[in-house]
Amino acid sequence: MNKVTENLRKTAAKLLQDKEVDLVIGYGLGSEAVRTQPVFVTSPEDVEKLVWNPFCVNGLTKYLSDLKTHPGKIAVVVKGCDSRGIWRLTQDNIIPRDKVVVIGIPCAGQLSYPKLASKIDVSGQLNDVEEKGEDIVIKTTKGDFTVKRSEVALDKCAACEHHNPVVADHVVGDSINAAPTPDSYDEVKKFEEMSAEEKAKFWLGQFSRCIRCYACRNTCPGCTCRECVFDTIKPDWVGKEVNIEENELFHLTRAFHLAGRCVDCGECDRVCPMDIPIRLLNKKLLKDCKELFSMDTPGSAEEGGSVLGQYRLEDPEEFM
Amino acid sequence: MKRLLEYVGYEPGRFNARWISGSEAQKWADTTKVITENIQALGPNKRFSK
Repeated sequence: MNKVTENLRKTAAKLLQDKEVDLVIGYGLGSEAVRTQPVFVTSPEDVEKLVWNPFCVNGLTKYLSDLKTHPGKIAVVVKGCDSRGIWRLTQDNIIPRDKVVVIGIPCAGQLSYPKLASKIDVSGQLNDVEEKGEDIVIKTTKGDFTVKRSEVALDKCAACEHHNPVVADHVVGDSINAAPTPDSYDEVKKFEEMSAEEKAKFWLGQFSRCIRCYACRNTCPGCTCRECVFDTIKPDWVGKEVNIEENELFHLTRAFHLAGRCVDCGECDRVCPMDIPIRLLNKKLLKDCKELFSMDTPGSAEEGGSVLGQYRLEDPEEFM
Repeated sequence: MKRLLEYVGYEPGRFNARWISGSEAQKWADTTKVITENIQALGPNKRFSK
């Protein structure tokens, strides 16, 4: 067991024992060696279920939105990228800050399940993980495997703005000194330079595969409308059919609802069962909002809100 | 919105947004004329008719 897991369990046990919180949301071992799953711990005896390893890919902040009517206080485990979701939720008045205890874990980058599964036998259960610089030794009941971090890291971790959480009441683990590597938006720029036909071909190809499962919406800490426009039947604002026109409308509406609010955690990309690069839409809007309104990545600070929800005299007016 | 639509492959000029007051009749007429001409030059939207 690694030190972070040990400290995490101690912190969680203390919070529960002192009755400071009555629920801790964290990561537990998953169905396969290199998976974790969210666990909800309600008693100090159960903190053994909590783990920290390089497979803690899920963002857990969205559960706070689902649990906003929970009577007691809730502790939630966050990484740097997820922690921006805390400020998203408090700025949107989804949950008051004093109802949440944030357990922050500095994160050096997480590993991608599909990449690992293509390299090693992941079907066993995890015994231990050792990180030796670039090499990661994964010890499972089906044998030990050594992989190179650069070959199995999550794509999103290549550019990381916050290795250390932007908000944490308790920090578990040593802070990471690696310099932040803000996104250069190279991929967005590449798309911007394509011709209209090329872009249309690419995006219609992507949208046509969407099955409208709404996993992207459900995992997003910015998608917290009490009633989502895509669920509403009376009035029937938007079509529910799964076809290319309706799918495009869904994706563009969803992206625009998050313009200037998306915290860039990349969860939409990760959860999509059809591998649609949803984050690439949000990234375009992030890039534009940063250029037009010189904003930071949303959720980076307690104060802020959304640039499209505010008015300043010096706001640019492109088309006037 | 215009930037997002062009990002997913709508031709530049297909979507337009202008801010015109109810008292700016001439500006409204001129803008409508220009936009109509530009869109006629683009031709029908063939985006979904492949």
